[in-house]
Parts: sequence; structure tokens; C-alpha cells
Amino acid sequence: MPALKVSGLTFSYGPRPLIQDLSFELRPGDFMCVLGPNGSGKSTLLRLLTGFMKPSSGSVRLGGLEAASIGPGRLARLAAYVASETATPYDFSVRETVLLGRTARAGFWRGYSAEDGKAADLAMEETGIAPFAERSINTLSTGERQLVFIAQALAQETKVLLLDEPTSHLDLKYKSGIMALLARLAGRGLAVAAVLHEPAVARLGCGKALVFGGGGKYSFGPAAVALEPERLAAAYGIPPDSPLLPK
Amino acid sequence: MSKNKFPVFIAVLAAACLFSLAAGPAGCSNLDIILNLRLPRTLAALAVGAGLGLAGALFQGVLKNPLSDPYILGTSSGATAAAVFCFLAGIERTSPVFFLSVFAGAFGATFLSYWLARLAGRLSDAALVLAGVAVSAFLSALVMLVLTSSGARSFSLFYFVLGGLYSVQPGVLAVSSLIIAAAGAVAMGRWRALDAMALGSENAYHLGIEPERERILFFTLACAATSAAVAIGGTIGFVGLMTPHIVRRLTGPSARGLVPAAALGGAAMLAAADAAGRSLFSPAEIPAGIVMALAGAPFFMWLLWKSSRGRN
Repeated sequence: MPALKVSGLTFSYGPRPLIQDLSFELRPGDFMCVLGPNGSGKSTLLRLLTGFMKPSSGSVRLGGLEAASIGPGRLARLAAYVASETATPYDFSVRETVLLGRTARAGFWRGYSAEDGKAADLAMEETGIAPFAERSINTLSTGERQLVFIAQALAQETKVLLLDEPTSHLDLKYKSGIMALLARLAGRGLAVAAVLHEPAVARLGCGKALVFGGGGKYSFGPAAVALEPERLAAAYGIPPDSPLLPK
Repeated sequence: MSKNKFPVFIAVLAAACLFSLAAGPAGCSNLDIILNLRLPRTLAALAVGAGLGLAGALFQGVLKNPLSDPYILGTSSGATAAAVFCFLAGIERTSPVFFLSVFAGAFGATFLSYWLARLAGRLSDAALVLAGVAVSAFLSALVMLVLTSSGARSFSLFYFVLGGLYSVQPGVLAVSSLIIAAAGAVAMGRWRALDAMALGSENAYHLGIEPERERILFFTLACAATSAAVAIGGTIGFVGLMTPHIVRRLTGPSARGLVPAAALGGAAMLAAADAAGRSLFSPAEIPAGIVMALAGAPFFMWLLWKSSRGRN
């Protein structure tokens, strides 16, 4: 059974549909990048996948369940989402922030269990943030903070991990580090989908690609095919020999 | 982290109580004055302070906005306006109708501010403060209009609007304390949802929280606590704003420690403020609301200055 199955997904903010009749599926172990021009609906797609926004028509199934018809508590145990940037004025510690990933599992009326603590510690080890577990998230660099929210998502122990631009604003070292981490997680059986801005970054481990071209055109398939320079050039409206495209 | 800091709050609270019981022009030799005048007044200050501190912590968390508190959001003005209309309509101060009306005023004013701030699109800290100021100003003007045109009873009502703890009725104090304790207990049970909301409502949703539902729940709790506080002492500002900021330095931002600490801290702060108002300019007596505004307004300016310089 696919971890995530999207069929005939359509969504519009105004009269003109932003996403039209989109279908694809992710299996456990898939690492998919989502590419396309600004405003083509990539971030909206992720919010549709988690049920945060409701599609006009079509269906999103997470582990066999229709996303639009289940509440956020259950959804948070099926799919985790990492926003492109999360800011708060309050100085939560790294560990407190990661533990909040256990919200949907811990139940409201009691504290965190030993199991919750273990899941958080494991997620911090996995992402390499354990050394600053007690620091305030507001004292971290952008890259370190991104890792904290990835760890929070891992603590949710879901089968699907969705990330909105996890590598923007980051230097090359963090870009490659985060992509390697995501590829490793996919290798462990997670289905991972990440919205990315640069095709070159997508080459760091993505096995599948979903490319939004303008006008309701999508190409979905193995990364080697979907990320061919000619297809990308057409999607972004740039010359096929542009140095921005991967060779 | 917060557990070993708890004795600090108890000690501060005890000191504030002692100060409040001992302060006043009559000194502290007359047991009759201490038991029959200062004790009820101290209890009232504790209840009002706890309610406002609690409401401030809940608003700051659920709105992810460190500038919010029941005074700035218009919650207190809404409650005060409703209370004044009830007084003029002759509704008993201990009747359920009175408490329900005051709560409705608080809730209505808060949602109006929230709705106005959301009109601008994304909810920004500044928009919320501006909307709250607009709602407060309008409600205060309405109250003043009614007071100036109603004549007879308006002098005591005027003092109620100013915010003070002169004429504490035991019945009102008992009901309000129960409401505040209940609101605090429910809020403490849902501390995790409040923490998730403090990371933003979209993040909260993806952690498994229903943001709209939690917003209504925490608004309800904060408005209940605020309206119970207003029923005792009228409009007293800035307790809800300052307390969470001060206690957060000891407990950290997590609502698990912050919510009870803000209630205790608010109680201590208002008891001390009221005692200071009674003793510093004696024999003249300064209402607690004015003492809090004298301390709180500069604090608010400092917060604005700090948040305009980036990280809070």
C-alpha cells in the first residue's frame, strides 16, 4: 500500500485553479522533490497533503485514510510537516521543542512518558542536535533551527515526512547535510517529500521528482527523467543551456 | 526545570501578603483593622492579580504575541462596560446574570479585537495591539458617556472604572475566586496545546492540535478569569502583561510552569501594588489600577522597544 496517494487533486484560491487534476503516489522509502516556479502551488500542495487546507476536489490518502476526513490528532500520527520557517518570540529549549512533536501521542491530561522522552532523544541524535538540547531555539543559527523542527517531525514517528523548502536560506554545508539526512530517513522506510528551489539540490538523493510546469502541467517520475534539463527549462521558462540547471 | 523554582513564588507571594496586611496609615498594631479591613482587601488583590496574570499568560501563548494582555486586547474594557451597564440596570453584583454579562462583554470585546486584527490578513503583533487599543478606547468612551450622563451613583462607579479594591463584597470575591481557580485548572491541564499554539497555529495544527478550537477554549478561559477579576476590582491594567514576562525568566516559556507561576506572580504583584497605593502617599490612597499603570506603561514601552529591535 502506498504511504501517500494523491488522485485528481484540484485546488483554487480564486476562480482559476492553482492545482488541477494532480495524481501521484509515494511508497515507503521514496524521497521525492517538488520543484517549480514561485506561486505554482508547491507549498499549497504540502498543506493539502496534511489536510491543513481542503481540496476543491480529488483525494489525498495517507496510509489508506482520506486526509480531509480525519482530525489533526490522527493526521499528526500519519504525516509530519516541517514549515520553511517557524519563529516564536519565546525561548523554548531545543528539547522542549522536539518533545512537542509528541503532542498527538502523549494525550493532553498527563505529562510526557518515558517513551516520549526516548523518541525525542532519538530524533535529536538522528539530526545531530543533541549537543544543544538545553539551548533556546532562538539562539541557534537558521540551519540548526531547521534541524530542530525536522527532529520535532521525527519525534511524531510518522510514515510520511513533508518539508517546505528545508534548505532555503542555508549555506551549502547545511544544504548537503539536510539532504543527506532526508535520504537516510527515506532509506529507513519513510516516504519523504520536500519542496525545493534549486534543481541542483534535488540531485542530492531524490529518487523521484514532481515538477510543476505552468498551466496545470505536471511531470512526475524518476528524478533522472523528471529533472532532465529540457523539462526543467520549460517548467521554469529559462533557456535549456542555463548554468543554473544541473548537467 | 520549574519545580525547584516553585518555593521562590510562594516566598514572594507570602512577602506580598505580609506587606499588604501591614501597610496602611493605621500601622500594624490594630488587629481589628488587619482582620476586618486589610485581610479581605488582600484576598481580593490576590484573586484579581491571579486572574489577570493567568489571563495574560494564556493570551500571550495562544496568540503567540508577547504584547498581549487582557487590558491591551480590550478584554478588561469589555468586562468593565458590561459591569457598568449592569450596575445602572440595577442587577445584583452577586447574581449569575451579572457574571454572565461581564463575561459576555469580555469575550465580545476580545473577539472584536481579534477579528479586526485578522482583517489585515496575516495576524501581526502590531495589528492586534492597534485593534485592541481601538476597541478599548471606544468602550471606555461609551462608559464615560454613560457615567457622565447618569448622575447620582456615578462617583462610586467612577472609582470602579479607575480600578481599585475599596468595596469588596464577600459574595463577589468567593464566586470570582472559584471562576479563576477553575479557569486555571483547565488551562493547566491543556498546557501542551498552549505550547503548541505558541509556535504558531499552523505548526500547532501539524502537531495534532485543532487551532480554532484551542483559540476559542483559551479565549474563553482568559475571558472568564478577566471578567471575574473585573467583577471584583474594575479595570486594572498591565498585571497580565508584566507578570508572564517576569515569571518566564524563572520558569521558561513552557505553559506547564508558566501558567501556575503567572497566576501566583500576578497575585503577589497586585497585592504589593495595592499595598503600595495605600501606604506610599498616605493618608491619600492611590487606586491599585493607577499604581499598576504607573509601573506597567513604561514596561510596555520597553517591550515595544525591545520587539522593534528584533528578537524578544
